[in-house]
Amino acid sequence: MSRPFLRVDDVTRSFELPGGGCYVALKDIDLAINKGEFVSLIGHSGCGKSTLLNLLAGLDQANTGGILMEGRQITDPGPDRMVVFQNYSLLPWQTVRQNIGLAVNNVLRDLSATERSERIDTSMQLVGLSQAADKLPSELSGGMKQRVAIARALSIRPSLLLLDEPFGALDALTRGNLQQQLMQICQQAGVTAVMVTHDVNEALLLSDRIVCMTNGPEARIGQIVTVPFERPRHRLEVMEHPAYYGLRSELIGFLQQQRRLRQRRAELERQAEQSRSTARSTGSAGAVATARATVVRLGYLPGLDVAPLAMALARRLFDPAALELAPVSFATWERLELALREGQIDVAITPASTPLRLTLGLDGAPPWPAITPMTVSRNGNALCLARPIGEGGVVDGASLRDWLAGRDQPLSVAVPQRQGMTELLLRHWLAGSGIDPEARVRFVPLAPVAMQGALRNERIDAFIAGRYRVAEAVQERQGLVLASDREIWDGHPEKVLCCHEAWAAAHPEALLALCAALMRAGERCDDSSQREAMVQMLSQPQWLGSRAAGALSRQFEARPEGGLGALRFNHFHSDRAHVSNPAEGCWILTQLSRWGWCPFPSNRVEILSQIYRPDLCERAQELAGFAALPLPRVAISLADGLHFDQDEPLAYLQSLPGRPSPPVQALPVPLSVQSTATSPPSPTIPG
Amino acid sequence: MTPGSLSGQSSRPALRGWLRSPLANQIKAPLVCIGLTLLLWQLLVQFNSAGFPGPVAVIRQTWDPYIINPFFDDGGTSKGLGLQLLISLQRVAVGYSLAAIVGIGAGLAIGLNRFLRRGFDPLIQVLRTVPPLAWLPISLLLFQQADSAAIFVIFITAIWPIIINTAVGINEIPQDYNNVARVLRLSKRNYLIDILMPATAPYVFTGLRIAIGLAWLAIVAAEMLKADGGIGFFIWDAYNAGGDTSTSQIILAIVVIGLVGLALDRLVGAVGTLVAKGGRS
Repeated sequence: MSRPFLRVDDVTRSFELPGGGCYVALKDIDLAINKGEFVSLIGHSGCGKSTLLNLLAGLDQANTGGILMEGRQITDPGPDRMVVFQNYSLLPWQTVRQNIGLAVNNVLRDLSATERSERIDTSMQLVGLSQAADKLPSELSGGMKQRVAIARALSIRPSLLLLDEPFGALDALTRGNLQQQLMQICQQAGVTAVMVTHDVNEALLLSDRIVCMTNGPEARIGQIVTVPFERPRHRLEVMEHPAYYGLRSELIGFLQQQRRLRQRRAELERQAEQSRSTARSTGSAGAVATARATVVRLGYLPGLDVAPLAMALARRLFDPAALELAPVSFATWERLELALREGQIDVAITPASTPLRLTLGLDGAPPWPAITPMTVSRNGNALCLARPIGEGGVVDGASLRDWLAGRDQPLSVAVPQRQGMTELLLRHWLAGSGIDPEARVRFVPLAPVAMQGALRNERIDAFIAGRYRVAEAVQERQGLVLASDREIWDGHPEKVLCCHEAWAAAHPEALLALCAALMRAGERCDDSSQREAMVQMLSQPQWLGSRAAGALSRQFEARPEGGLGALRFNHFHSDRAHVSNPAEGCWILTQLSRWGWCPFPSNRVEILSQIYRPDLCERAQELAGFAALPLPRVAISLADGLHFDQDEPLAYLQSLPGRPSPPVQALPVPLSVQSTATSPPSPTIPG
Repeated sequence: MTPGSLSGQSSRPALRGWLRSPLANQIKAPLVCIGLTLLLWQLLVQFNSAGFPGPVAVIRQTWDPYIINPFFDDGGTSKGLGLQLLISLQRVAVGYSLAAIVGIGAGLAIGLNRFLRRGFDPLIQVLRTVPPLAWLPISLLLFQQADSAAIFVIFITAIWPIIINTAVGINEIPQDYNNVARVLRLSKRNYLIDILMPATAPYVFTGLRIAIGLAWLAIVAAEMLKADGGIGFFIWDAYNAGGDTSTSQIILAIVVIGLVGLALDRLVGAVGTLVAKGGRS
């Protein structure tokens, strides 16, 4: 890939506030712009568009990250990056000619006086202002002033043109003419341009790509829309383009979603403040705030993926000043979700798809707005096939397809949870192998502890579960590893931390302390020198039990047998494992709609920014003492070779084999009050 | 204002027409109000036995030689009002010019340099409130001579608003213009000529205008205390002479001082508008 003309690399800009503290205007902005490209920045006011433009101009400096233009870092303003300011910024004491001359004479010193004078004349001709050459700006209309500003900017042939709401103050007719002129000039001169605007139509007409910014503070790039219209463009032709209204409603939808999100955040903040004050007066709430620590009830299902929780408890990583943790074990995901919904537990370690399922109400109950501040573990799943079938020649997806073709009954596969992450991965793998999961496979929800027994009793043909369960089945010669998640999506999010958005808003410190402790524990779980200690820890009855110790430790041997080599240990910390990544959520959304469980939400950005909270994740990382690595905005690579671009989820859905594209519709998520139950549920002992 | 304007045909249409002309409209109100003030003064004087002159008496008593011959010179300190004014104006011209030059220079330095601005601000804030006459004794001690002392008092009185306004003007240069200068990488010299000076000019002239008023204020006071000529001296001299027409002379001098002060203010204002044409629109 050739180096882009302009590269914005993980830029963060914050401003110190006079009263202490700091306002983060831009967070982790990552953007590459090619030569000759016209890029627009849109977003609500206060989203840092103009801040970003000032950074590009060099008028302002990023706190972290950098901006490279043609390989050189931008450190100060310069005439190669000419700015057309929002309010024209013409010098009122100079005539049109003098204003343009100010740029030409100061910048193009190599040219002779006559050449410079010619340049000034041609610049004025370019925007049709030769007659007004000797007028002062106060004698010009707004449109004419803007044309002078553009002529001044273009007169010195900058390689990058920066426009800050250039047409904001103009009437519609003037604006239309100027847009057309600007477009022609930019195309003729081959100028690369970045424009800040809040006008969706303007952005669509002028841009090759539109960068949509989320609300500030901590504004990020929410979405990038590519505008496919051919150039040269004309307003009417563009508006008649079949894609025009689709793109337009996508942009407007984005802005509306951002507005709703802002209102929602404010409302949550208000509710949290209210509940804090009532908690102070009555002394009872969902999570009981004692004099110092907050008691947090955390639900989980025993498994290898909760190793960080076990580690954190064993090593006392929970900061006792901020947090008193009450772990609650469950046997099935259904019961855990129910407890979460009913407020019997505050937080849970759930499959990665659960926050989306609960928020969208896919489990049949009303929508329950969940958030996820961090990913607890990645990878660690495998598909275990009954040994007789495997020995009958089924060794991979293709042979499974052929085997299924010669059999009437569908393949019966146990999954820990319907619509869970494992089922999504399995379905994706099946479809990729040419097997229709709807017709040829029966999914049986089963508690993970019961899966091995069901396989032994031939009630199921296969199961997909955590590596430890699969390993046990392989050890006892009941099953074989048919596929692992490395062959589907290496590094997929498996377990995430999940709680109600109102709880998160009401107990921010406790949540961050919990995340930080799990992160620190995750680092130790990844450390191979800690493996033995970890096995011992997990062999205790409240986790996996003593039976697990043998199965677990054998897996750490150099050459495990029975296909176990394909199993990759979960990872808890390395490769930014903790990041709460909305792009991954977007993939989950595509799969939920792919299998018909919900329409694809047209307001996906809203839903995802509501649920996925990289901001909380970063704060927790800071608290844990880890460097908060920014999230690069790159496509996710799945093992089937298809790249998933979070900005083009519908195109991705269309490229997938099998089923027709799902309907697209808005899925609003109403604000709901979190139900609270003060009595803890009776803990279930894992079998 | 003009009753009966709806009554149609007037007996004296020419006068009516003139009364409605823009010029008449402008001077009508001041003319009436000043006339009434003078009338009131004249009436009040009628009940005063101490011999305080009314407006008519003032004019009558000073008509010759002060009004009709402002430039007579009988030698010594006995001079016409015009000559006295010239002496005062000369002092103001020197002191005010010095104040303008030093004040704009200091204002530039303070406006461009944060350290100087922070350092000198308290000093300036204190000194600018000192009344002109308080400087006179120090000034006399320093210069030992009435003329230079008066000039110094003018200088020290007039300089503060010039410094302050120049510094504020530099501070208030719109960020947009500075951004333009930064993007174009203007040289220091071009920045000064193309942006700083034109952008600051309106502020500087506001300062100059305030300063000329203060300078005129100071000169009269200084001359009254210690001088051998000038309009302030004229008043004090007339008071000390204690003649029959002294009060009238004093009143005439006051009127002249007022008119000259107004003229000076307007003059600086006009120059300012001329220089800062275009200004910050």
